[in-house]
Order: sequence, then C-alpha cells, then structure tokens
Amino acid sequence: MAEPIIRVEGVSKTFVSKERKKGQRGKKQVQALKDVSVDIFDGEVFGLLGPNGAGKTTLIKCLTTLLVPTSGRAWVNGFDVLTQADHVRASIGCMLMGDRGLYWKLTGRENLDFFGALYHVPRDPRRKRIEDLIALLKLGDFVDRTVETYSSGQRMIVAFAKALINDAPILILDEPTVTMDVPTARDLRHIVKELNAQGKTILYTTHLMHEAEELCDRVAIIDHGQIIALGSSKDLKASIAHEDVVSLEGVFPDPTVERLRAIPGILNVAATAEGSGRMNLEVLCQNSRAMLPKIIESVAGNGATIEYIKPKEATLEDVFIAKTGRTLNVDTRVLGEREAGRRGR
Amino acid sequence: MAAETVSRGLGLARPGWRASLAVVWTVFVTRLKIISRYKGVIVLESLLPVFFAGMPIFLGIAVAGSEEKAAENFCQNTNAACAGALDYRLYMLVGSATFMVVSLMLWLIGYWVRREQETGTLESIYLAPAKRLHVLSGVTSYTLVRSLSAFALALLIGSLLFGVNPLTGSLLPALGLLALGIPALWGISFVFGAFIMRIKEANAVIQMAQWVLAFLMGIYFPVTLFPTGLRWVAMAFPPTLLNDAVRSTLLNITSIYGPWYVVLALMFMAAWIVPLLGYEIFARTERRIQRAEGVGQY
Repeated sequence: MAEPIIRVEGVSKTFVSKERKKGQRGKKQVQALKDVSVDIFDGEVFGLLGPNGAGKTTLIKCLTTLLVPTSGRAWVNGFDVLTQADHVRASIGCMLMGDRGLYWKLTGRENLDFFGALYHVPRDPRRKRIEDLIALLKLGDFVDRTVETYSSGQRMIVAFAKALINDAPILILDEPTVTMDVPTARDLRHIVKELNAQGKTILYTTHLMHEAEELCDRVAIIDHGQIIALGSSKDLKASIAHEDVVSLEGVFPDPTVERLRAIPGILNVAATAEGSGRMNLEVLCQNSRAMLPKIIESVAGNGATIEYIKPKEATLEDVFIAKTGRTLNVDTRVLGEREAGRRGR
Repeated sequence: MAAETVSRGLGLARPGWRASLAVVWTVFVTRLKIISRYKGVIVLESLLPVFFAGMPIFLGIAVAGSEEKAAENFCQNTNAACAGALDYRLYMLVGSATFMVVSLMLWLIGYWVRREQETGTLESIYLAPAKRLHVLSGVTSYTLVRSLSAFALALLIGSLLFGVNPLTGSLLPALGLLALGIPALWGISFVFGAFIMRIKEANAVIQMAQWVLAFLMGIYFPVTLFPTGLRWVAMAFPPTLLNDAVRSTLLNITSIYGPWYVVLALMFMAAWIVPLLGYEIFARTERRIQRAEGVGQY
C-alpha cells in the first residue's frame, strides 16, 4: 500500500487584510483554509482543483513554507514544514507563479544555473542537469538568449525547467500550462507523466478538467478553503453517475436559473456568461430523458432563446457543480464579496 | 521526532558549507552580470560625486567672492584643520564620494528587495533551501564591490577635474576605515530592506531618506555645526562616523569624534552591533510576513 509523502493535518490559514471604504479604514479577516486534512501518496499525481480564490495556492504556499499556517501541521518528504523548512524546500521542485520568478536580464541557462546553486546542487551535477533539461524540454534554440526576449510560452517552459533543476522527489506545479500553446502544453503533460513514471510525486493544480482527468491519479476539489471532494476522477464522476447533465446555450433572462432550480428533480444549475448576452447553463438532474421536456418548457416559457441543447457525460466540473452549484470559472473571492455585499444590503 | 511521512531523499541537493559558499558566490556573480547588462551605469554613477562636490565649491565662491576666501572661511568656521583651496575641494570631494558609497550600500538592498518582489524572483528565492543570510551575503558583497568601484572611480575623476591629490593624506588607513565602516552599513541596509519588504514601496522612501542621510552625515560640513540635540543624533548615526573617519584620515585633520583610537573603537563597535541588530530585524520582519500575507504579495 502506498505511503503518504505529504501529510496535511487540520491546516487553517486566516489572512487579515486592510480595507478602505468611503474613507473608513477597517480590517477584514479572510479564512483561506479551514481545517484542511489530506494525505498525498508517494508516487502519485495528485490534482488540486478549484476556482480562483478557493485556497489552492494558499495550501501550496503553506506546504512550500512560503506561508506559516494559522493552525494545524504538515509534513513533506518526512520533514515538518514549520521546524524543518530548509529540508522541506530542498525536497520540492516548484513552479508557482507561471513565467514570473525568472531574471529577465539573464539567459535561460544562467537562470537555471543560479537557481541550481540556490537549491544546493553542486556545480558539476548542476551543469549536467542543465544540459539534460535543455535536451528534455527542447530549450536549445533560445536558452542562451536573455529571458526578456522570450515569448510567454518560452518563459513558462524555462520556469518549468527551473522546477526540475534539483531533481527533487516532489514536484509542485501550479497551473503550469496556462500560457502555453497547445502542442507545448501537450508535450509538458507528456513529460509530467514520464516524471511520474520515474517515481516523482506530483501535486498539480489546474482549471482544465481534461488535464486533471488525463494526468491525476486522485483529485481533491477545494472550495472556500475546504476540500469538498476527494478521490480518483473515475470515483468522483461515479459518485454523480446517477445524475445527468444537460448543457444549454442561448440567451436566458435573469430568473431562468431560479426557475430551473425550482423544478423537482433538478439538483443544481450553474450559469456561465459567454458574452453578447449569451449564456451557458449546466443543468444537473436525475434522468435527463424524463426531465428534458420540463427543462425546455421552463426555459422557453420564460422568454429565452435556446440555441443549442445536449445531454453530456459527467466531468469533474460537473462534480464541482454538483457540490457547489457553481462552475469552476467563478472567482470565489469575487463571489464572496458579492455575497457579503448582498448580506450588507 | 518521528517523520509523519515517507522520505525519498533530496534529489541532487547536497547541503553543506560548500553549497552555502556556492550560494554566496553565485548570488554575487549574478548581480554583477545583471548590472553589467545595463550599459554605463557604474561610470555614470561615478560622475555623481563630482557634481555633488561641485555645488558647494561654486556656492562657496559665490558667497565669499573667491575660492581662496571660501576655503579660508570654511576652515576657520568649521575648525577643520585644513588649509587652502585644494583642501577645501578635497573635503567636498571625499564627503561626496563617501556619501555615494553609503547611499549605494543602503539603497541597493532596498531596491533589490523591491525589484525581486515585483518580478516574483523574491518568492523563487524563498522557495529554495538556501539560507537568507547566504543570499544577503551575496547581495551585500555585490553592493560592496559596486560602491567601492564607484568610490575609486569618482575619486579618480574628481581628482583630475578638481586638480587635487587624494594621496597626500593617508590613503591606505582611510580605505581601511572605509572597509571597517561597511558592516554597519550592511546592518542599516538590512533594516531598510525589511522596511521595504513590509511596506512594498521603495522609491518614495528612498527619495526622502536620501536627503535626510546627506544632511545627517555632513557631506559638506562637520556636524559639529548642528545644534546640540541634532549633533548627537547625527554623530550616533554610523554613516556620519564613517564619513568623518575617512575624511579626517585622508585630509590629516582631527576627527570630530576625538583621537584616532576613539574613532577606531567606535567603528569596531558599530561593525559588530549594527549588522547583528539589522539582521535580527530583517529576520523578524520576514517571519512576520510569512505569518501574514507571504513574501510574494507585491
């Protein structure tokens, strides 16, 4: 049985931020993580999914010692994140800020050498590792140019190489493909799989469901600082298998979502604005075949224009919708502010 | 304490004293590489003390009528045991060049922290296992080399332009005192870096502090001219001590702090206490930030 290589036990993190509203100063407490506990097993690819502001990055920052948790404990590679921070950092290769975090006046090779030294990799193995990474990630065409001349995709791939420089047993990748073109992103996913096959444990955060489904052995869905679902993609999707998803595209007036939610048999509805007044509705229901006439009747009766309608197979996003009633595209922080605004009114 | 998880080693990392030295060296070389890619910066900043020294010299001529009279008045009113226009010029040049060393040493750390915060490289550095002390040692070594190069170049250019000979006094002891004053400047620069990391703003603070520093360290006059309270504040400020020690040695004049052994003792004391205090404040600020929003927040 696989043993945990990362253990999180009851970790909470509260931020205090300053607010200025209409000349009034105040302090606001935001609980970014609420009593999170999870084990990540040695040799697995573990996906962390959730909308912006859900707490993914805060959890990663606690695990990489950038932040001190308000309460709770965590261990990485056998080391305590609070008392053995240097060893924890040496155990991890990290890509947290996309293409930020590189020196633009240095070449890609000089950046790799610099960070290799900071990771305590001796000179000769460091040079060999840099050559290996140049070959593996096909950096040869641009690695000796200064980073300021790179495209954003090239910067991302060098940032990825930086995460691999110390050949650590744990790799933490936060949205690594976000500004890459499609072929480069596909290559990167292929390399992630290879690294995992070599025995590395990978903690991967993404918004892209197909990435999570393709790469991750297990997935945790995080929302409002709490893990709301945990398991393999297959298990999570199976957990809502008795539920169907109907996807609708068109122009829907305001009360449509509420009207749909009021129909017995409809479990949840998530709406995403598509621009020009168009929307995409994801309707989670039991038995879509039986529910479809009711859905169409409800929507059409409300003066909506339905442009496209199709039942679809459950995805991880549907798991998130089933648990929260929202899509992953919603920024939790904005939502929280809106909700607080409504409460305030 | 028993590990709560399995351990799979540290990959290619080999922590130890060699690795720590490599961090200091790599940070130092990298900073030099980066500044060398901004063409002409060091030469241009070496010219600044020449302009700074030119201002009081011309002001003196405007007030007194001639440079000789200005020098005579200056030496008489400040009790600086100098003599003639050449000493007057050298006094201003050495003060300006020392001010530039102090200024570069202090502000470069502040700008470094801020710039790294903005570009995301500060967070990258904090993700690595290298100790902050080693990274800071690399950066401070770089600021030392950069500011001493600028000092030497400024003195050379200034001496040629103003027709003075800085070698008339005790150059080697003066350079020794300059080196002895550096650790105290590091200490202040750590405090300053911590402050910048906390408030996430460098320009406004540096613009203001620059003039306060120039005023307090008496680049154009001995701080004995200040009223009593302000004089004590200025004299307790390590850059003032450094400036006065270097200048009095180079010009063979009496230090405002007293005989040479008092100056030396004070400089040794500052070289120990200020950096330790400065690093402690930096480390405390860093811990406080890690408990709050994190160093990456910019």
